[in-house]
Amino acid sequence: MSKELVIQIENARVEMEGRTILSVEHFEVSRGERVAIIGNSGSGKTTLMRMLKGYVPCKEGKVVVMGDVFPITDPKKMKTHHRHIGMIHQHFDLIGRETVWQNVYHGRLGYVSLLKSVFGVCSERDLQICAQAIHEVHLEDKQRRFARTLSGGEQQRVAIARALAQEPTILLADEPVSSLDPALAEDIMDLLVSVCDAYDLTLMMSLHLPELARKYADRILAMKNGKIMWDGSSDSLSNDRICEIYEFMGTNGVVNGNGTRASRSAFTWPYGWQGQPLPGG
Amino acid sequence: MAGKVSLFLAVSALLFWSFQGSEFSPGQFWRGIPQLFHFFGRMTPPDWSVWDVLLTSAVETLQTTIAGTFLGALFAYPLGVLAASNWTPIWVHLPIKAFMAFVRSIPLLLLALLFVSAVGLGPFPGVLALAVHSVGVLGRFVAEEIEATDPKPLLALQGTGASSLQIIQHGLIPQVLPQMVAHLAIRFEMNLRDSTILGLVGAGGLGFYVFLYVKQFQWQKSGVLVLAIIALVFAGEFAAWQVRKRLI
Ligand SMILES: Nc1ncnc2c1ncn2[C@@H]1O[C@H](COP(=O)(O)OP(=O)(O)OP(=O)(O)O)[C@@H](O)[C@H]1O
Ligand SMILES: [Mg+2]
Repeated sequence: MSKELVIQIENARVEMEGRTILSVEHFEVSRGERVAIIGNSGSGKTTLMRMLKGYVPCKEGKVVVMGDVFPITDPKKMKTHHRHIGMIHQHFDLIGRETVWQNVYHGRLGYVSLLKSVFGVCSERDLQICAQAIHEVHLEDKQRRFARTLSGGEQQRVAIARALAQEPTILLADEPVSSLDPALAEDIMDLLVSVCDAYDLTLMMSLHLPELARKYADRILAMKNGKIMWDGSSDSLSNDRICEIYEFMGTNGVVNGNGTRASRSAFTWPYGWQGQPLPGG
Repeated sequence: MAGKVSLFLAVSALLFWSFQGSEFSPGQFWRGIPQLFHFFGRMTPPDWSVWDVLLTSAVETLQTTIAGTFLGALFAYPLGVLAASNWTPIWVHLPIKAFMAFVRSIPLLLLALLFVSAVGLGPFPGVLALAVHSVGVLGRFVAEEIEATDPKPLLALQGTGASSLQIIQHGLIPQVLPQMVAHLAIRFEMNLRDSTILGLVGAGGLGFYVFLYVKQFQWQKSGVLVLAIIALVFAGEFAAWQVRKRLI
């Protein structure tokens, strides 16, 4: 069985404010894998995902995602690239004043032409895909509710449905359960893993709890100070190793408590991506 | 401690300087109170024979306000989006912000005077003045509202492959709409108040006749129009409050 590579990184480096915050020598993910990224705060988990999404540019090296070689400058290609990679965030990042259904439909925007989306024209296929995605996360009875009126667990399920509506190949989940209580966290993780199986998605998720990583991933990536410390199957990650990875909490002096500061300050969209001016797309 | 004392002294000096310079005189005010009553006394009883002037000019004021606010909003929203510093590069948002600040710095009556001399007497220069003024005030609110919106849901939308305009439609607008409408309501209320005195410089509406009758010493007629202004402003405030109440 020859495995198809969906992510290939070779000597990639991400710099911010003159400091290297991510440096990956070699990293590959093949289709269908389930990778968990662990590491203490500020170790570069979010940065790695944002780089794969194309939000932060890498200085040098080779990055290939689904056959697209970075940097992707063509806006059309960028759009397809975004569609390939669904992303789920710690704080769900839904549009609170829109309904569950509308939020799931947002996953289709990459496929719908501007004119059609302005006039709210949905194709039969879009409707079907949204309905299926909502069905997967068991939210049929809450479709018409405003997203902000849902509980955290329900909001994260909407976010999963939105990602599914994108028909992605890769699903990135940045601390998908960090804002949920432990029992709910397991529910969401079960759901996440089961939809990835059902849709044949490659899953990459960052998790704060090594136990969750061991339970739900078949491969674990441990990061520290922007470097990959360890990469192997989840059974082979010993407790000693975990202690070593987490030993020097925050030694780089920047403790990014909930992981929001970095992503907020990095927001310069929409002209931020390679300096394209408004209106893009 | 020394800092507090010197701050106190500085504020006292500033206040003294201001009252002194503006010829503040409680005695003069006290002596003027009968005159005040006399003024209002001359307005009563209101002369309702001018009801037709009242009606047409009140309607004109309302029309001026609606047209001016609409025209202002029409330009303020897109300009406000372009003036949001996290959306556009500095060479776009800085000039627009500067333009809006410049427009805001011109007093409304001066703007009206300017347009009266450009397009002549009547409500039309009033519409233009209100519109330009609204662009400055409303545009700034729009920009600030957009800058304060949580960008992460928008980034998440971008991550689905949505284009910029789609992100504006499905992400930004739903997030800021209530505040936008609330600001528009407040703007309408303020514009209504302002447009009642635009007549002072010949830009139509109720104010024009108030000053006309005052100049002709027809106090009882101007009194009626003053009552109409109060009623209109009150109604505008009530309407804006109703809109805001429904949103929040
Ligand atoms: N835009 C930015 N500008 C400057 N430094 C940044 C930026 N984004 C991230 N960093 C820095 O890069 C490092 C890695 O951040 P990252 O958010 O990837 O960590 P993380 O592993 O996701 O941490 P957490 O577990 O807290 O979410 C941190 O030291 C952070 O301060
Ligand atoms: Mg993070």
